[in-house]
Amino acid sequence: MNGILNWILWLPIIGMVGVLLTPKAKDNVVRMVTLVTTAITLILTVVLYMNFDTAEPGIQFAFKVPWIAQFHINYSLGIDGITLPMTFLNALLFFICTLSSWTVDKNVKGYFALLLMLQSTVFGVFFSLDFFLFYVYWEVMLLPMFFLIGVWGGENREYAAIKFFLYTFFGSIFMLVGIVALYYATGKSEDSFNIIALQGGRFTELTLDIFGSTVSFEKLFFWFMFLGFAVKVPVFPFHTWLPHAHVQAPTAVSVILAGVLLKMGTYGFLRIAFPIFPAAAVEYSTIIAVLGLISVIYGAFCAMAQDDVKKLVAYSSVSHMGFVMLGLSAMTIQGMNGAVLQMFNHGTSTAMMFLLIGILYERSHHRWIVKPDGSKGFGGLYTTLPKYSVVFIIGMFASLGLPGLSGFISEALIFLGIYQRFTTITVIAVVGLLIGAAYLLWMFKRMFFGEVNPECEEYEDMNAREIFYMVPLCICVVVFGIFPSPLLNVMKASVGQLVDLLAKFS
Amino acid sequence: MLQELFGYLSYYIPELMCIVLMTTLLVAEASVKDEHGSRDKIYAYAIAVLGLTLIPLCQNMGKNPVHIFHNAITIDAFSTLVKIIMVLGTMGAIWLSRSSRDIYTNLKSEFAIMAVGVLIGGMLLASANNMLTVYLGIETLSILSYVMSSLKRDESTSTEAGMKYALYGGLSAGVALFGISHLYGTLGSIQFVEMMPKLAGLEGGRLAIVLISFLMFFVGIGYKISLFPFHMWTPDVYQGSPIPVTAFFSIVPKMAGLATLVRVSFVFFTDGSALTVSWIGLMLVISAMTMTVGNVTAIGQSSVKRLLAFSSIGHVGMMILGVVVLNEVGVQAILFYGISYLFMTLIAFYITSHLSDMYGTDTYDVFKGLIYKHPVMAIIMASVLFSLAGMPPFSGFIAKFNIFSVVIEKKYYGIAIVAAVNSVISLYYYMKLAKIMVFGKSDGEERVLGFTFQNQAVIVALFIPVVVLGIFWEQVMVLSGNASVFIK
Repeated sequence: MNGILNWILWLPIIGMVGVLLTPKAKDNVVRMVTLVTTAITLILTVVLYMNFDTAEPGIQFAFKVPWIAQFHINYSLGIDGITLPMTFLNALLFFICTLSSWTVDKNVKGYFALLLMLQSTVFGVFFSLDFFLFYVYWEVMLLPMFFLIGVWGGENREYAAIKFFLYTFFGSIFMLVGIVALYYATGKSEDSFNIIALQGGRFTELTLDIFGSTVSFEKLFFWFMFLGFAVKVPVFPFHTWLPHAHVQAPTAVSVILAGVLLKMGTYGFLRIAFPIFPAAAVEYSTIIAVLGLISVIYGAFCAMAQDDVKKLVAYSSVSHMGFVMLGLSAMTIQGMNGAVLQMFNHGTSTAMMFLLIGILYERSHHRWIVKPDGSKGFGGLYTTLPKYSVVFIIGMFASLGLPGLSGFISEALIFLGIYQRFTTITVIAVVGLLIGAAYLLWMFKRMFFGEVNPECEEYEDMNAREIFYMVPLCICVVVFGIFPSPLLNVMKASVGQLVDLLAKFS
Repeated sequence: MLQELFGYLSYYIPELMCIVLMTTLLVAEASVKDEHGSRDKIYAYAIAVLGLTLIPLCQNMGKNPVHIFHNAITIDAFSTLVKIIMVLGTMGAIWLSRSSRDIYTNLKSEFAIMAVGVLIGGMLLASANNMLTVYLGIETLSILSYVMSSLKRDESTSTEAGMKYALYGGLSAGVALFGISHLYGTLGSIQFVEMMPKLAGLEGGRLAIVLISFLMFFVGIGYKISLFPFHMWTPDVYQGSPIPVTAFFSIVPKMAGLATLVRVSFVFFTDGSALTVSWIGLMLVISAMTMTVGNVTAIGQSSVKRLLAFSSIGHVGMMILGVVVLNEVGVQAILFYGISYLFMTLIAFYITSHLSDMYGTDTYDVFKGLIYKHPVMAIIMASVLFSLAGMPPFSGFIAKFNIFSVVIEKKYYGIAIVAAVNSVISLYYYMKLAKIMVFGKSDGEERVLGFTFQNQAVIVALFIPVVVLGIFWEQVMVLSGNASVFIK
C-alpha cells in the first residue's frame, strides 16, 4: 500500500499528459479523459480510507526517496488523520468540478490540463512531509490557478489573477526564509527538511541576535510561517485578494479555491506552524483568536452588504474560515476537532453554493441580487426552479449551521472548544453566526421569494448532469450533519497528538 | 624557462583557440566575396570553434589549480566554470545574431569577431591573478563592447549607447587604474598573493590610502557589473544596442566582472579584520540598493529590452550576496545562479528578438496574445519569466533558494527580507509581461512569426536546463561546489 500516495499524486499528471496528447477539436474526449482520471483518483482515496488505521496518530502510507542528497532534501510523502479528510475532499471536489465544467468551451484542452495539474499540486501540498517539497508544491499550485483565473475568468480577471498570485507569493516567500532558517537551526542535519522531525518544540530555547538585540528564534519565525499561511486562509487583514479571485474565477475554480485551496492555509497551521513552534503558537493564540474573530464578524458584515451573490458567498468564506482559526486557537480537543471538521464541512457546503451560483449564472448570465440600476436581479425562483431551490436550501442551511446539517456540528464543536479558553471571544463569535444566518436568509428571500421576475420564467431547471454532481455533496452535507463519526474517528488520534503537544507548552 | 612556458600553454589552450578564431574570422570576413552564401559558413565556423574550446575547458575543470605566466593567470575550476558560462553565452549570442534583423547583414561577421574579442577579455578577467591582468582584462573587454553597442550605426539611440558606454566605461576604467596604481605604490606589489600579507601591517594614513584605492578599484568593477550607484548607463546602453548585443552584454561582461569581484574579495577580505567588516557592511548596502533600484525601476518600463536591463541589475544585486558571505557556499550559489541565469536570459532575448524583428519595436504590445499565435513559445517565455522571478519548479527558484540559504546561514536576516520583498516586486513586472502574452487578445492581424524550425529547436534546447535544473539540480550544485574550492 505504500505506493498508493504516489498513484494519487501522479495520476492527475498522467491524465494531464493524456489530455495534452488528445488531438484538437476532440473536446469530448478531453472531458472524458479528465473525468475518468478524477474518478479513478476518487476511488483510490476511498481505498486509502478503507486501509487507514484510525488508532494510529502518526504518519501512515509513508513513502520516502532521497531527492537532493547533498541538502538532505527528500521526496517524502505520508498522511495522517488530519490529511485524510482533505485528501478525500480534494478528490471529490475535482471529480465534481470536472462534471460542472462540461459546459466550458473556450480552449477546452488547456482548461482541463490545468485543472488536472492543479489537482496534483494540491495533493502534493497535503502529502508532502519534506519542507522543501511542500514549498515547491505550494508555489507551483499558483501557476495553474493564475492561468485558470486569468484566461477563463470574468471581465476583471487579469487584475484578480495578479492580485491572487502576488499576495500568495508575498506570504510564501517569507515562509521560504523561515524554511531556510530552520535548515540552519537544525545544523544542516539529516532531518533539516523533515517536517515531522522538526515538530515537537525543538526551537523553544533558541535565540538570535538581530541588530544587536536578542530575539527568540521560535517567536520570530512563527510569524514568518504565520504570514505564509494567513494569506492563504485568508485571515483578516490579508483577505482582500479573495473576493476578487472568487468573483472573477470560473465556477469550478471558485469551488476549488474555496473548497480546497483555503484549507491549505489552515492545514499549514496544523501541520507546520503549530507543531514546529508550539510555544509561540500557545503564546500568540490570543492574537490568532482575535484575528479569527475579526474575520468572522467582518466577513459576515461584508457579505451582508454585497449585491453580487458570488461575492456574498466569497465573503461568507472569509467568515467561515475565521471559525476554523478560532477552533485552532482554542488548542483543545473539541476546538481542534471542530476546526478540522469545519475545514471539511465548509469545503462541501461552500462548494455547493458556488456550484449552484454557477448553474444559475449559466442561465441568467448575471449574478446580481440587486442590479446596479436598483431593480431586482432575480425573484420568485422558488416557483420557476423547484429542484434547484431544494438543493439551494440544503446548501444554504448547511452553510449557516442549521442543526442536522454538517455546518452545525463543526461550529458547535469549535464553540465548545474555545469557550474553555476565551469566553468573551466565544460570545462575540456567536453573533457572527447570527449575522451569517441573516445575510443568507435575506439573500434567499430576495432571490427565491416574492414576485416572479419575468426574466426568470424562461430559466430551465437543473438537468440530469447537474443533479448528478450535486447529489454527492448533498449526501455529504446531510450524512455528516447527523453522523459525523466517520470523519471524527479518522482525525481523532492525530488531532489528539497535536493537542497534547500544545498542552505541554501552555 | 622556455620549456616551462610551453608547459603552461597547455592550460591556456581555450584562450589561444579563441585568439586564433578571432584572427581567422577577421581574415575570412575580409576575403568573403559572395555575401550571403558564405556568411553561414562563418557562423558555423565560429560556433564550431567555440564549441571545441569547451573540450579543453572541461579538461581544465578536473585539473589542480595552477598559477601560470609568473603568477599573472590562475587556471582553476572556478575560472574555468566561469569561462564555460561565457563561452556558452557567446555561442548563444552569435547564433542569435544570425537571424536577428537588428544587426545589418553586412555587419554580422563583425559582430562575431568582436564577441569573440570580448570573450577573450572576459576569460582574462576570470583568471586574473594580479592587478595588471585585471586591468588588461577590463580594457580588452570594454573597448570592443563600446563598438558593439553602436553597431546599429544609423540609429541615434545606438550611437548614444556607444557614446555613453565609452564615456562611462573609460572613466570607470581610469578610476580603477588610479586605484590600482595607488595600491601598488602603497603595497609595493601587484600580485594578489603578495599584496595580502602586506595589508595586515598597515596603520594610519597608509591604511586610509589603501581603503580609498580599493574603493576606486571597486568602482571600476561596479561599473562593469552595473551595481548601484554605477548602474545608470545600463538601461540606455541595453536599449540602444542591437538585441544580440544586449543579450551578450547581460551575460559575458557580467560574469567576468563577478568573477573578478569574487576573486579579489577572497584575496583581501577573509581575515575578519576591521577592513573586512566595513567592506561587508558596504556590500550589503550596495546589494540592497542595487536590487531595489533595479526592480522598482523595472516596473515602469514599456520596452522589453529596458525591462530586461533593469531586471538584470536586480539579478546582479542578488548574485553579489554570494560574494558578501565570503565563503565557498556563497561562490557555489553565484556559480549556480550564473548557470541558471545564462539559459533564462538567452531564451528571453531570443524570443524578444524574434518578436521585435516581426513588429519593428520592442514594446510590451508585441507579446500580445502570443499564446494564440505560438503556444509553445508563449509557454516557454512565460515559464522563463516565472523562473526569473524565482518560482519553482524552474531553475531560477533554486538559484534564489541558494542565495537565501547562504545569506541566512550567515544570519543576515535583514538582507534576506530585502531580497524576499524584491522577489515579489520582480514577480509583479514579469507577470505584467506574462499577462499580456497569455491574457491579451491578439489584434486580429495574424502574422506568421519568424520562428524557424532551427530557432525553435535552439529555444527548446535552452529551455530544457531551465526545467531540469529546477528539479534535479544536485549534479550542477556539486559541479559549482567543486569549482568554488579555490586556493587563496
